[in-house]
Amino acid sequence: MTLDFLKALFPTPFKRALALFFVSFWLTVSIASCSGGSDAVKSGANISPNNIARLAAGGNTLQDVRAAGKINIAVPADFPPFGSVGPNMQPRGYDIDVANRIAEGLGVEAELISVVGNYRIPFLQTDRVDLVISSLGKNEERAAIIDFSQPYAPFFSGIYGRPKIEVASMKDLKGQTVGVARGSLEDLEISKLPPDELDIKRFANNSLTASALVSGQVDLIATGNVVAAKLIQDNPEQKIESKFIMKDSPCYVGIRKQDTELLEQVNEIIADLKQSGKLNQLSLQWFGEPLPEDLATTAT
Amino acid sequence: MDEFTLSRIFLNLVIATKWTLILSAIAFICGGIIGFIVMLMRISANKWLRGISFIYVEFFQGTPLLLQLFLAFFGLSVVFGVNLSSLAAATLALTGFTSAFLADIWRGAVQAIPQGQWEAGSAIGFGYFKQLQLIILPQAVKQAIAPTVGFLVQVIKGTSLASIIGFTELSRAAALINNVTLQSLLIFGLAGLIYFIVCYPLSTWSQYLEQKLSY
Repeated sequence: MTLDFLKALFPTPFKRALALFFVSFWLTVSIASCSGGSDAVKSGANISPNNIARLAAGGNTLQDVRAAGKINIAVPADFPPFGSVGPNMQPRGYDIDVANRIAEGLGVEAELISVVGNYRIPFLQTDRVDLVISSLGKNEERAAIIDFSQPYAPFFSGIYGRPKIEVASMKDLKGQTVGVARGSLEDLEISKLPPDELDIKRFANNSLTASALVSGQVDLIATGNVVAAKLIQDNPEQKIESKFIMKDSPCYVGIRKQDTELLEQVNEIIADLKQSGKLNQLSLQWFGEPLPEDLATTAT
Repeated sequence: MDEFTLSRIFLNLVIATKWTLILSAIAFICGGIIGFIVMLMRISANKWLRGISFIYVEFFQGTPLLLQLFLAFFGLSVVFGVNLSSLAAATLALTGFTSAFLADIWRGAVQAIPQGQWEAGSAIGFGYFKQLQLIILPQAVKQAIAPTVGFLVQVIKGTSLASIIGFTELSRAAALINNVTLQSLLIFGLAGLIYFIVCYPLSTWSQYLEQKLSY
């Protein structure tokens, strides 16, 4: 049945051959692009002459960077406060400042490349950038392809509210009313508590949840620190503060697997930034709250 | 924090339009040259040349421009280890896309010229290329110019896809500014207006040429 249909669709042998060619071409391309990139990149790297040199030398990005006097870093341009554009279209944000500090620490100039979120790892894999500092979270799939530095940026779900209410852990939420965006990560997290112990008010989205806190409908909300940063910045008179962290998933600098020397250097620089309090300063500037304690002290 | 004023937003969008125009120009000039060669192959008597150009045209017409850009930028890196710059990748993809469509538009125009014109040229002793140059093309140009200009409008709007490989052209600039200011109606309205200002004169010019050159 299907075969007859196909025969009718491609009546001549030439057209059948052509159709076969295109089908196989697409399969090849889609397999190549969907196989996570890692294997394809490796096999591609093996056959190209200039990458053979690179492999033989064993990840000499650090030397290359030092020799060139500049390092290419992928930064976000569409995710405030990590990175967004200023009025002169120059990127600005937490990630941009961190990128500049790291380049400073390496003693080279930072060449910042604004990258659309889903393409930041392909940019790293194809040698277009040497570091990804772009609110990059860690997961198993990514860890199989690239290496991560120690965490440098706070990214977590927390409970936020006015100073008058004192809660310091999930247990303290008993009997409280908490606002949350329906279906968000925070909703999943807070729904783990027994539903009869606290009153969860679910709102349609993040901005409605935030307005519920500002207008006094609820005294506590569960939300991400990025949403909270904007809320704190826009409503200074409300004195909204962070109560505690529910779920922590900080951001890391992404580095190619073989660049172990560069990774060590970057880790040292981040540790320095943490110790000198500079990273904390940046956190206050962009997120409106200090770095969480475990992030500020991590040294590995 | 310094603010985005209306004039600042407008100025940034106009500056970003530069890339839209540069990419369009590259697409049209390179695409025109390649497109002409592909058109010659398409109307050639040699079946291999015809076959190759057919596959070329069908490939670029049958796949999305977004995918072509992606293949040129990341695909070539992964498969061959060649890292094209954003500009080179955009030039490659836009040239392929534009040339395929122009080749087909121009082939239609050439084939619309009656066979008798070729035969008349041959009768007075012109070779193939003389016939083409002196008799066929001057007539075909009149047929082709209106749809060609019309296609340019498509190309201008198509350049917005180049934002995925790192060009901050008009659409991307609008998206970035919107991310900070959250005034989507205003910003995308302005961007749309700029596209219109660029494209509308071309559309009217195409209509004018169509009327003037028809006979």
